[in-house]
Amino acid sequence: MRDIHPFLSKSQWLRKEIFDMVIRTQKGHIPSCYSCSEIVLALCYGGMIRFDAKNPRSKNRDSLIVSKGHAAMVLYPILADLGFYPKEELLKFTNPNGILRMYADHTIPGIEAICGSLGHGFTIAAGYALAAKRDGRDSKSYVIVSDGECYEGSVWETAMFASHYELDNLITVVDRNGLCILSETEKCVKLNPLEDKWKAFGWNVINVNGHSYTDIFRGFDDLVKNKNKKPTVIISKSVKGKGISFMENKVEWHNKMPNAEQVGKARENLEKNCIIN
Amino acid sequence: MSTQNILPRDVFVNQIYEEALKNKDLYFLSADFGAQALDKFRDQLPHQFIHAGISEQNMVDIAAGLALNGKLAYIYAMIPFVTFRCYEQVKVALATMNLPVTVVGVGSGYSYDDAGPTHYATEDISCMRALGNIEILSPGDTQSTFEAAKLTFTKPAFRYIRLDRKFLPDIYQKGETRFLKDGICEIDKGEEICIITTGYMVQKVRQAKEILLKEGIQIGVIDLFRLKPIQGTLLSSIVSRYKGVMTVEEQFLSGGLGSAITEVLADERILLPVKRVGINDHYYLDNGGREYLHKLCKIDVQSIVEKIKQFHASLAGNRVLSSK
Repeated sequence: MRDIHPFLSKSQWLRKEIFDMVIRTQKGHIPSCYSCSEIVLALCYGGMIRFDAKNPRSKNRDSLIVSKGHAAMVLYPILADLGFYPKEELLKFTNPNGILRMYADHTIPGIEAICGSLGHGFTIAAGYALAAKRDGRDSKSYVIVSDGECYEGSVWETAMFASHYELDNLITVVDRNGLCILSETEKCVKLNPLEDKWKAFGWNVINVNGHSYTDIFRGFDDLVKNKNKKPTVIISKSVKGKGISFMENKVEWHNKMPNAEQVGKARENLEKNCIIN
Repeated sequence: MSTQNILPRDVFVNQIYEEALKNKDLYFLSADFGAQALDKFRDQLPHQFIHAGISEQNMVDIAAGLALNGKLAYIYAMIPFVTFRCYEQVKVALATMNLPVTVVGVGSGYSYDDAGPTHYATEDISCMRALGNIEILSPGDTQSTFEAAKLTFTKPAFRYIRLDRKFLPDIYQKGETRFLKDGICEIDKGEEICIITTGYMVQKVRQAKEILLKEGIQIGVIDLFRLKPIQGTLLSSIVSRYKGVMTVEEQFLSGGLGSAITEVLADERILLPVKRVGINDHYYLDNGGREYLHKLCKIDVQSIVEKIKQFHASLAGNRVLSSK
C-alpha cells in the first residue's frame, strides 16, 4: 500500500503555487489546473515517469504532454521542483525575462511540444509512442487531454490510429471535469457515453476518481496489468476548480480573475487539504 | 535523354526510397495516397512507412511527434488534403516548432482536372506561403523534382513541395542544378518582357514564347523553383534588364505567385510595370479537362499570348509617355 500522505501535501503546495502565479500576473486558468492536479502529481512523483531533469530530451525518458494547453501551468511548479529550471522562473511567469508563459511550448525545459490549440498534444503524444515502438525503446508516452478536447475530430482519428498500431505505450488521461467554457459538456454537445466511445475505438478504459490518490494509484496498478497491446485511457472524474469552494464546478471561473475579497476566501480554502484520500 | 516519362511523384518518392534505405530514421507517412514508387517503399521498408489513415490532421501531428523524436518525416497526400484540410496542424505543429517535416502534395493547379474543385489546388501557394518558417519548392520537371527531393534529406527543414500530377516536359538537363542555389532561373533570355512562372505553367509560357517569336516578340522566361523565400537581389538584377514583368500562374491571384513577386519587387524598389495573370476568383464546375479549364479562365497558351501582346503594346505606350 502506497503512503499517500506526501501526495496530500503536494496537492496543497501545487494549488498554492498556481494560485500565486495567477493572482500575481492575472493570467492563467486556475480551475482547469486544479481538476487534473492529483493525476499529474501522481504521474510525476509516483514513479510512473522516468525523466532526467538535467537532460530533458534523453532518449530513454518517458514523456508527459499536457495537451489541454490552457492547463500548462499545472506542470510549471512541478518542473521547477524537479530541477528542470530554477524556481525563480515561477516568479517570472509571463515576464519578458522569464521562460514560462500562459501556454507552454517545446522551448521550455521539460515541455515536449507546443500546446494551446486542443487536439494537438494528444496526436503528437501518439507520434512519441510510435517513435518509441519503431525504435524498440520501452519509453512511455503520457498525455493529459480535457474532456472538452474530445470534441476535436482529430482526437478520434488518432484514437483509431493508436489502436491500430498497438500503441500500448500511449497512456491518455481524460480529465473528465464535465465543463467546457460555456456550459456542462453534456448540455453543449454530449460526450457520453465517453467510456464506450474509447472502448469502441479499441482502447483499455480505466476509471478513476481524479481527486483520490488511492483510486488513482489503483488505476495505475490496473494499467500496469494490461498486457493486451491496446492503448489505455484513464478517465479521471474530476471537479473543475477543485479546492476553491466558489470556483468548483462553475463555468464562469474558466478564466475569470477573483477580486480581492475572493482572493482572501480562496487563500483560506487553500490552507485546508481538499483531498480526502 | 528525356526523362519526361516518369511521373513527378515517382521521381520524388524514388529518391526518398533510396535515402530511406540508408537512413533508418526516415519515415514516410501517407494519408492513403499512392505512387508506383511508393509500392516499392511499402514493400521493402514497411518499418519506415506509416499509413496514417485518411486522417490528414492525425498524419501531421504524428509526423510532428516523430520529428520531435529525431525522425525525418514526410507527409504525403493530394495537395488540398495535405494543406487546407490540416492547415492548423501544419501551422501549430510544423511551422511554430519549425520541425524538419516535408509536406509533399501532388496535384498543383488543375492537375486533377477531371475531379473538380475539391481536388483542385488553386490557392495552395497563397495559403502555404502565409506560414512562418516554411520553404516552398515548386519543381516543374523531372530534374528539378529530383533535386527538390534530394534537398529534403541533405538539408532537412520544414518544407512544402508541390508536385504536378501529370508527366512534365524537361526544363533542365539531367545533372543540371542552376535553379537550385537561388531558386530562380532565367531559362530563356529575352527582351522587353520577362515572364515569371512556376511548375506546370513553365511549359505553357514557353509555348507562348515560341508563338510570339514568330511575331517578333522575344520574351524572357523565369522559372521560380523556390516560391519561398524568394531571392530578391537576384530577381531584381534579372528583371531590371526588362521593361515589364508578367507573372503567370495556375492559381488564384490573391496571395499567389504574382503577389509574391510584386511584394519582392516593391521591397527591392524595382519600379517596373507588372501584370499578373492567373485564375479569376471563381470555382469552375465544368467538364472538359485542364486545357478547357485554362481557356475558361484565360490562362491557356493563346490567352497568354494575347495578354503578353497587350502588355507589350501598353509598355510601348508608356515609353512614349515617359519620353515626353
